[in-house]
Amino acid sequence: MAKQTAVINAHYRRLSLGKKITRDFSHNKYKYLMILPVLVYLALFCYKPMYGIQIAFRNFKVTRGIEKSPWVGMYWFEQFFNDPYFWRLLRNTFLISGLQIVFGFPAPIVLALMLNEVRNNRFKRTVQTITYMPYFISLVVLCSLVKIYTQQNGLVSEIVEFFGGTRQNWLQDPKYYRLIYIVSDIWQSIGWNSIIYLAALSAIDMEQYEAARIDGANRFQQMLHVTLPGILPTIVILFILRMGSILNVGYEKTLLLYQPTTYEVADLFSTYTYRISLGATAGQPQYSLSTAVSLFNTIVNVVFLLLTNFLSRRTTDSSLF
Amino acid sequence: MKKWLALVLTLCLVLTAVSAFATADLLSREGVYPLNSDKTITWYSQDSHNVHSDFSDWHESPFHVNLSKQVGVNIEWVLPTTGADGGVFTNTLLSDAGTNIGALPNIMEAYFMNNANQYLDDEVIWDLTPYLEEYAPAYWAWLHSNPAYDKAMKTDDGRYYAFGFFREDGGWNDSYQGPVIRKDWLEECGLEIPKTISEFENVIRVFKEKYNAVFTSAFSPRFYQMGLSGAFGAYGNVNSGYLYEIRDGKVILAQATDEYRDWLRWFSRIFKENLVDTDLQTVDDTNVQQKVETGLSGIAITSMGQMNLWNNHMEAAGNGRPWIGIPYPTNDNGEIYSIFGGSGIGSITGVITKSADEETMKLCLQVLDYAYSKEGFLFWNYGIEGESWQMSETTGLPAWTDLVAKDTSNDPMTKYNGATWSGSCIQATNLLYLKNSQASIDANDAWYYLGMGRDTDQLDKILEVTSGHKWPTGVTFTTEESDELDLYNASLGTYVVEQCTSFLLGNKDVNDDALWNEYISGLSQYHLDRVLELRQNCYDRYLAR
Repeated sequence: MAKQTAVINAHYRRLSLGKKITRDFSHNKYKYLMILPVLVYLALFCYKPMYGIQIAFRNFKVTRGIEKSPWVGMYWFEQFFNDPYFWRLLRNTFLISGLQIVFGFPAPIVLALMLNEVRNNRFKRTVQTITYMPYFISLVVLCSLVKIYTQQNGLVSEIVEFFGGTRQNWLQDPKYYRLIYIVSDIWQSIGWNSIIYLAALSAIDMEQYEAARIDGANRFQQMLHVTLPGILPTIVILFILRMGSILNVGYEKTLLLYQPTTYEVADLFSTYTYRISLGATAGQPQYSLSTAVSLFNTIVNVVFLLLTNFLSRRTTDSSLF
Repeated sequence: MKKWLALVLTLCLVLTAVSAFATADLLSREGVYPLNSDKTITWYSQDSHNVHSDFSDWHESPFHVNLSKQVGVNIEWVLPTTGADGGVFTNTLLSDAGTNIGALPNIMEAYFMNNANQYLDDEVIWDLTPYLEEYAPAYWAWLHSNPAYDKAMKTDDGRYYAFGFFREDGGWNDSYQGPVIRKDWLEECGLEIPKTISEFENVIRVFKEKYNAVFTSAFSPRFYQMGLSGAFGAYGNVNSGYLYEIRDGKVILAQATDEYRDWLRWFSRIFKENLVDTDLQTVDDTNVQQKVETGLSGIAITSMGQMNLWNNHMEAAGNGRPWIGIPYPTNDNGEIYSIFGGSGIGSITGVITKSADEETMKLCLQVLDYAYSKEGFLFWNYGIEGESWQMSETTGLPAWTDLVAKDTSNDPMTKYNGATWSGSCIQATNLLYLKNSQASIDANDAWYYLGMGRDTDQLDKILEVTSGHKWPTGVTFTTEESDELDLYNASLGTYVVEQCTSFLLGNKDVNDDALWNEYISGLSQYHLDRVLELRQNCYDRYLAR
């Protein structure tokens, strides 16, 4: 059987590229039809706008248009790297994103594993529904809730006072900003993100558990040696994808939560880009500079994606490509 | 020598602006309108003429439709989609200028002043200088009724390009926010209305002791633009729009003066003593309103509109209308340096883009000119006579008919007029009187007249305090200047706001000389010297116009 496949493959490889494509196409025409809408979407919204990347290398003015704005080479990149805030933005972006990965990434896995151990279906469904819910609240509302909870007479202060602490406005204090950011992030996304793991869990062969039980494994050992390896490929793929967006920390939430006194720990590449372009309060929007910043952001992301993928391919069998 | 010249010129400017108080006689253009043109022009407005929420689009809106009839030219309105950010919408429109200038609306009302030179040099907008006198005589007469107006509406080399927004009253309504207080508490405590900053602090203290209430304000333009720094001889608070102060003809960074440090010292002290709302930095108008209604505060800074809202809600709850506006506190010698205010000239202007050919441009000039004529002034402020307004026999001034007076929606007059917020027109003082409650008008009086009352003759002092230290409206940068300034703006603004807020709320001790000096010396990293040099040049050119 294996030998036969190898022969077919060898034959296939000898075909010219054009023939390969036509053959592949006629074999899989319905699949191609199915991915067509996605291709159109990608072409329109991801590839066509790439034409605009060139404004990172021009002195772009809206009223002049792309073609008529003069080339300036790496000018905007130099300006950005020389900006006094560059290192702070880099640090904050990596830190917030790093904390999200360290705490936010495993959280749904843990939730999924825990839910998997629950035998009472009613309880399980209730927990799932409750943990999904915050995901469907608009970010603006969620951030208002966070603001109200962390006020001096808010929920957090009540709890802290109950345990003998003092009331304060927690969001104004740079010490607690990252904690609030990460915790509210987990609160919002834990239920939703656990769905994919729950799906992966249901695909694990029950016979493996049976075999483990016969070998004398307890519940914890079963989880460690059967469940976790069973969902590991899913975890790895999601992890690689997550690393590919290491610098993509959403600006919306930061814009809604940060204050001048917490800029020091909160300001990100994305919020900086927003402030100099769309949110510019004085002068004209800095489209060229903000494009340069975003381009830099994307390059770092791609590097991280490739790096993680490479490491994963070397250490485990799972990889994107 | 240069300093003297600047001083003299500033004085001239201040003195000439004084005459803005007398209502200028507008040129009558009776018989000219309607123009009976069969042409259609397009008119874009960023924030000024949004359609009232009762209507689905401008075709239903009386103001938008009636303006076409009044001037006798078909106007096709282009307005930002509801919920869209006006500035972003304007830029999206303007991005057509590079490739397809014809796609731009003929008339555009937006913020063009800072970069007017670039728009003119790139041929995006029309240089109106050769045509203005002939095709817009009413506007021409208005501009020449006051040198301050003329100066604001042209570039350094004398090119006219815009139709501006003017308040008939000068800067009165530009001071639409300031300190407010609960009169009932004040009386209960047997206190006078505080005049000096020490008295002001005392009131906060007494309210704290007696009602456990604190000083509060929304951390928004309400508080972070000016605060009460004027009582300390300073200008501005913690907002990147309020960084540059004019002092004796020099452009300086407001947040680097000793006087400003005194303000930080005072505020951080009362903040530390828990006399101020600890949530200050995270509260908006809605939060403040809740705090106020539940008696958590009896002294605050807010706008006349917000104060009216508080009173309405408290009245509905059976607590009367206790909030009144009080003058900005002075220092202990009775002197005050600056308050929230302006010159009465708006920074939003109407321009004619190059999508209009010469003939259309001339037509647009006449359409825009209507607002500055005697008849157009009435229409822009009140709508059509007999429909939305009629002359009051008691006051001799226009008053609403039942159509507006009995309409319970928000700001019903905006259905019929165009001058409520801004736009290329002259806003009548009477319109503001009609629109606002008496308590709000009194509050605006208290703030603007510095507690001296409407009959005061110290108008030059008022002008200096309200707008004399402010970066003037209508200053134009050259393209090179604005390119360079845009580069430094974001970082410098972030630095100053961040540092000063930390000092203000005590995260950093303002009394610590080492910390303060570190902040001051850090400014050079953000190109402050260069920014001030560029701005000074630009300001000098403006004075020399």
